[in-house]
Amino acid sequence: MPLRRLFAASSVLFLLVLAISPAKNAFRSYRSLQRQFRKLGSSRAHSLKAAQGYETRPVAIQQIWLRDFENRVDRCTTCHLGVADPLMAGAPRPFDLHPGTPHTPGGFDRFGCTSCHGGQGLATTQGDAHGSTADAGPPMTPPVFIESGCGRCHLSESVDGAPVLSRGRTLIARAGCYACHAVRGQDAFRSEAPPLATLPVKTGGEWVKRWLKDPKSIDPNATMPNFHLTDQAIDELSHFLFAAQVPKELASRIETAGAEPAGSSANGKKLVSESRCITCHTVEGKGKGTAPELSKIASTASRGWLLAFLREPQAFNPRTPMPRYHFSEAESRDVVAFLEDEFRDFDAPKGILEPLRVNQTLAENGRKLFRLYGCFSCHDPAGSGSEKFGPELDGIGDKRAQSLDFGRRTDLVRTLPAWLAAKLESPRSFADGLKMPSYGFSADDSRAVTTALLALGAQSVPDRYRYAPPRKPALLPGGPVGGLIQSYRCLSCHEIGDRGADVSTAPLTYEGSKVKRDWLVDYLMLSYTLRPILEERMPVLKMPREDATQLADALQNFYLDPSIPEDPFAARPASDADPVEGQRLYVGLGCRGCHILGSSGGYYGPPLTEAGKRLKPGWTYAWLKGPQRWRADVRCPDYGLSDTDALRLTAYLETLGPAASSAKSESAARGVR
Amino acid sequence: MRFRTATLALFVFLLVPGACVRKPAPAVAKTPAAAKTPVAPPPLRYEVRLGKVTFTHYCQTCHGESGAGDGFNAFNLDPHPRDLSDPQFQKKKSDAELADAIQRGGAGVGLSALMPPWGHTLSAGQIDELVLYLRTLPTLRKPAS
Repeated sequence: MPLRRLFAASSVLFLLVLAISPAKNAFRSYRSLQRQFRKLGSSRAHSLKAAQGYETRPVAIQQIWLRDFENRVDRCTTCHLGVADPLMAGAPRPFDLHPGTPHTPGGFDRFGCTSCHGGQGLATTQGDAHGSTADAGPPMTPPVFIESGCGRCHLSESVDGAPVLSRGRTLIARAGCYACHAVRGQDAFRSEAPPLATLPVKTGGEWVKRWLKDPKSIDPNATMPNFHLTDQAIDELSHFLFAAQVPKELASRIETAGAEPAGSSANGKKLVSESRCITCHTVEGKGKGTAPELSKIASTASRGWLLAFLREPQAFNPRTPMPRYHFSEAESRDVVAFLEDEFRDFDAPKGILEPLRVNQTLAENGRKLFRLYGCFSCHDPAGSGSEKFGPELDGIGDKRAQSLDFGRRTDLVRTLPAWLAAKLESPRSFADGLKMPSYGFSADDSRAVTTALLALGAQSVPDRYRYAPPRKPALLPGGPVGGLIQSYRCLSCHEIGDRGADVSTAPLTYEGSKVKRDWLVDYLMLSYTLRPILEERMPVLKMPREDATQLADALQNFYLDPSIPEDPFAARPASDADPVEGQRLYVGLGCRGCHILGSSGGYYGPPLTEAGKRLKPGWTYAWLKGPQRWRADVRCPDYGLSDTDALRLTAYLETLGPAASSAKSESAARGVR
Repeated sequence: MRFRTATLALFVFLLVPGACVRKPAPAVAKTPAAAKTPVAPPPLRYEVRLGKVTFTHYCQTCHGESGAGDGFNAFNLDPHPRDLSDPQFQKKKSDAELADAIQRGGAGVGLSALMPPWGHTLSAGQIDELVLYLRTLPTLRKPAS
């Protein structure tokens, strides 16, 4: 009998156990959320039918299945029911409408949720999906780093609509992270660190030691990080650096230059200010550039080196962005005399530029340290072989917090972003013997770099999802013109196609269709301020006339855009009334708010006083028809001008400036014809 | 005796899976260190941040960083740009009116042409974001000194 009773009891228990699974499902939180959503929807609906639509929604798991995107299944919309529902703007979480982004509300079906937000799409409880329970997969990306999601598919350095990610990528490139760490698509990266061969004749032992101790204390713009070296290591490394073989030719140039008589400091001051050094360099922190700080340069480099470098920078560092100025011998002496008078560290010890007498044993130890700390990655990439010094960074954004070595940092929250931020802030704090130097990023910069790092997934996304902006072909001629472009380093500031830097507001890609040749020749020889609000201005390069003519002709012949008409008045000849009507438009549209004309106007756009001398009418017309076509972020508003109005305004601007008389008679002649 | 052992065995058998049920994980984020994370919460909503980017790029030079109409180009303009951070002004204008003035410019709404029309430059979405950001300006306003 007891056996039968036992059987009965166990049967009941067995049934109960069986019932647990369906019961668990029935009480899942998403079910009650979906019922709440029904009520919320029907209370917000504008029509009875819409309200009924909400009332009759089935209670079920919702999902977005992306077969072509790693077979993702995102069930987030099971709880986040209102993400694509305009009625749910301002509704409480999790029912609220998703903010408008380039991919929402139109792109939910194509991009799902986890592709941007991370987390576990398959899960159907909040804890598992958001990754807050202990054994869930990688958690969601915290909102401050959300732009890392953009970076998974958008691979270019600058991504529209993702300023934090873009800044992070720029900082990573500038800090030279790619020199030590392999990252997909960055194989061609080369650090801008200077070669060290001329160091023994450039500076002194004391300076090198101070620099190695903390580069940023000497030059706040230094890209070299702080390696936290011991005094002994610094000593050994200095001896190694001073044991380098200086190329004979450069050594003799520096020696002869050092023996030249001193120049005139007063004239040097004038030359320095008109050369616009602070377009790239800073002086006591003034200037937006990132080239070396100049206020202590004469206590950094010897007189001979400064002179020889100024005369031909590219002979010392083939990768330097510094252009070659055509100073005369005497002028360059004047410039250096001024630097020596004004731009020196008055607190520095006398012998800061004394060369170091090399001790071979210390130098040999230094050589080992040079390898140990991976200095070669930046300073001698050719000699380092193909193996990168640090661990590769691909996949760092997919690392699980449990797999990271937090070492001594028990104070940290165990998440990937916290680990990355701490690694950037004080890389050596995790354990002894780590080699990564510290970069001194600000909190904002560290957040941007972390965002960019979180974008580095283990796998690249499928081709269909990968996006790189369309390539703009760059025409870079060889021969003498190519030599001039190289020597004047046009690409350090100007863009040509997708090459070059975006320091100048004027890309050279279509410069020939834009400005008149005679103006260009004059401007190249003696450039002046076009945009007073900018600190970055074209330096006076002291270009000889033949160079200026050759460059101007090349720009006029090659750098053209077929969509800019040669003669905008071809189809509709200009009449004498056009400039008058154009002037009326100029006033009526409020152009003077931004442009100086004559003695008044705003300080925003370029002055138009000499517009007729500078700009080709075809360009003016094309610009007026849509400024953003020529520069996507330009502030000159698109007024949506009609062809006629744009031509009238063009005709008016053509009359401005000293050279206008000939242009006017030309267009008048055309009108008569 | 046997019955007792069997019942006990069954009981133990049921206890084992019960004991294996997962306990809720300790809340990691609530450790005191969490307060010290370098990650500050974003002060503005996403759309508002986008609006701020647009404002900084296109409007700040005349209207000023805080919207007070004191940008560095402001003194070149007569009439001066509007103080957008003025709560009275903000109260008077609806979102649609602000968006309209941005879209059609000063001349379009019967004011100075020195405020250009942005309707061909900015998308409707960008203008809406801009209006959202403008609405935050009075709250950022510094007390008059």
